[in-house]
Amino acid sequence: MMARLDATWLLLIGLAIATVVVPSLLPRALLANAVLLAFAAVKGRRIVLDYLDLRAAPAVWRGLVSTWVLVVVLFAWLASAVIALI
Amino acid sequence: MSAADCEQRETGWGILEDLPGDPMMWVLIFSELAVFGLCLGAFSVARAIHPVMFASGQAALDSHLAGINTVVLVTSGWLAARGTRAARAGERAASRRWLCGAMALGAAFVAVKLFEYAGEIGQGIGLETSPFFTLYFLLTGFHLLHVCLGIIILAVVIRRAEAVGVETGTAFWHMVDLVWIVMFPILYLVR
Repeated sequence: MMARLDATWLLLIGLAIATVVVPSLLPRALLANAVLLAFAAVKGRRIVLDYLDLRAAPAVWRGLVSTWVLVVVLFAWLASAVIALI
Repeated sequence: MSAADCEQRETGWGILEDLPGDPMMWVLIFSELAVFGLCLGAFSVARAIHPVMFASGQAALDSHLAGINTVVLVTSGWLAARGTRAARAGERAASRRWLCGAMALGAAFVAVKLFEYAGEIGQGIGLETSPFFTLYFLLTGFHLLHVCLGIIILAVVIRRAEAVGVETGTAFWHMVDLVWIVMFPILYLVR
């Protein structure tokens, strides 16, 4: 269990660094935004499961908080897609 | 488990009792997530309406400092999660050490954010510079207040370092972490 927590921390650090680097590597805004927000969704999910420790909690709570993450990042991506497509 | 034990465990919170820590904290966490979610949604809509203004505002922000703060906060969350595991195992001294580390990094987050604000204010940027900066300062300022509140909550639960108290305090701390994780790319990086 502790090893998983440590692995989550390392993953979060790696994705945080990658998040800062992605915009300079991907010039196309739509793709860069998708990657950035996908990273945010992955980080959020791991925080829900291993930091908030909802892995063992009823699925409804795990699902509710994970859905919050997904809805916020998806909405942000759709709004940015509107700008890119207009 | 006897019927008497079941009755003793029943506190009237229903399904919320299955969450780690005090159920009342989870009522607060769900309320906060709803508020932050709506604010971030409003920010995304405003950007879609004023893309040029938001792009120029975003260009004035220091995404590297915000990236450093992300590393600081997720590390603080890891220390807090370690503290929770130690408290559950009855290792109160170890739990206190982990939580002290989490609080110290929380204070570092506040220091970096205030340094970032100072740089922006030094450039002549303020709440009324543009709608982008109004939303930026309100969102990050509201989040910063939660970081400060989280440090205070951890300072309260660290005294006894018993499992339920630590679970309650760290649940709030991880909520603050979770909000920053989605706020960072939306405010600083999404174009």
